[in-house]
Amino acid sequence: MNIFFRELKVYRKSLLFWSLGMIALVASGMAKFAAYSNTGQSMNAILSQFPQSIQTIFGLTGFDLSKASGFISVLFMYIALMATIHAVLLGAGIISKEERDKTAEFLFVRPINRARVISSKIAAGIINLVVINIVTFISSVYFVNYFTKDNSTINYVITLMCGLFFLQLMFFFIGTAVAAINNKSRTSASIATSVLLFSFILTFLININNDLKNLKYLTPFKYFDAKDLLATGKLDVIYVSISLVVVFVMIFMTYMSFANKDLND
Amino acid sequence: MNIIETKKLTKYYGNSPGIIDLDLSVEQGEIFGFIGPNGAGKSTTIRTLLGLIRPTGGSATIFGKDVVKFSPEINEEVGYLPSEVFYYDDMRAIDLLKYSGSFYKKDQKVIAKRINDLAAYLDLDLKKKIDDLSYGNKKKVGIIQGLLHQPKLIILDEPTGGLDPLMQQRFFALLKEENKKGATILFSSHILSEVQKLCDRVAIIKDGKIIKVERIDSLIENTNKRFKLETAVKVDKSRFTGLTGISDLVITDNSISFLYRGKINDVTKIIASLNLTNMLVEEPDLEEIFLHYYATD
Repeated sequence: MNIFFRELKVYRKSLLFWSLGMIALVASGMAKFAAYSNTGQSMNAILSQFPQSIQTIFGLTGFDLSKASGFISVLFMYIALMATIHAVLLGAGIISKEERDKTAEFLFVRPINRARVISSKIAAGIINLVVINIVTFISSVYFVNYFTKDNSTINYVITLMCGLFFLQLMFFFIGTAVAAINNKSRTSASIATSVLLFSFILTFLININNDLKNLKYLTPFKYFDAKDLLATGKLDVIYVSISLVVVFVMIFMTYMSFANKDLND
Repeated sequence: MNIIETKKLTKYYGNSPGIIDLDLSVEQGEIFGFIGPNGAGKSTTIRTLLGLIRPTGGSATIFGKDVVKFSPEINEEVGYLPSEVFYYDDMRAIDLLKYSGSFYKKDQKVIAKRINDLAAYLDLDLKKKIDDLSYGNKKKVGIIQGLLHQPKLIILDEPTGGLDPLMQQRFFALLKEENKKGATILFSSHILSEVQKLCDRVAIIKDGKIIKVERIDSLIENTNKRFKLETAVKVDKSRFTGLTGISDLVITDNSISFLYRGKINDVTKIIASLNLTNMLVEEPDLEEIFLHYYATD
């Protein structure tokens, strides 16, 4: 338990800042919605004038932006990006920092096996993910309510947050796996972030180019696309299953690679 | 029983060897020196023993238990002080040491008392943040975290850097005391005088291989002593003929210098017959012995 509490303490400041960032993102996003709807003009009409590719890049296609649900769907793309960057950095950092900061020689000469160290760190990491998720949920509900007085979206927001949590878990464990496999602790965070950016960009490419739609299984962002979630109102069983497989494979790789790793500085 | 035993222990980093076929045994209760220059494989051996890195060949046991399989169990009774200490900078010394102690099964109250005793002995302010400590004071934190659980085996990897002579003396006294209480010590160093001061036996390592394991005293005994004599008149070289074990004989007007290895009585008989004004017999220091092993490749 000592490592678990130690990690919570180490990350509490970073968690605070990420939470504030998330609140700011949701607040400013919804404030824009309020501004748009106050102009009295139809947002949809204006935005439909934009070239298709621009609309796609900003994730505007297929949403009715005159409704709060449509607006938060657009915002979800940015929320997901922010939450997954947090998750992947957290995952890579929490595992690699002992080597990076040369404290591995302190921690791993204690009478504790490596798997237990990893478990404590993962547990502390998941607490951080949950906090970010709850903060996102509460601020979404609050600001949607504040700017639109529209209470009908709460169930939809819950669905989005469930999707968000799967995204957070996947990228968190991609981070831990990268850190466990990679022997150069300093590069773990950037490798893990590259994986994230690659899948984010791939999502755009798939959205723009219909020929690439079979690649959708390669990017977790497509698993929980707000467009689909809004249409069906629930998570797709197949995508949830794939997510769970990704999570378990990454967990397995994290433990296996770390068990036999050379801990150098 | 040997506390540490390695059999053909080998560690390659990719294609470059760290240690090759290392056979080492450290007996219970001894202070074992491990000397060699930087990059010879001292740290690699130690890190393998501690379970930080995995061997690519051979095996090693501590307390009779395999270091790969039983590393956590072994570490319960091992204290380690690395050459460079890096700790969580945001913690205060006392928090770090308590955190460190929290991993051991021993009574935490006993550990807390031990932390305070050691800090008082080493003159360390426990309330300071690690970040604000000088290199030498960080080293003291290192010493305390290595000894706070009263380990049966203490492993030290070039531990004296950053300690002033007074602290070094206290540190050595501390180690000797632990040793008296039954702790076995593995002391790695490239500073030979400190090994000489502390150790019973010593292994000399070079290029990942052990080239000699010897008792410190016999290592010194079996080597040459340097004699420097001053005489009232010039002595003829022939006085020393017939003496076996003499070398490097230089005679000038009123001084004689030579290296001697053999029975002391034989050489003193000859010296007694000379008209001496002064005499000096020097032990070779480990430095010279060491160079001897390193020069003969």
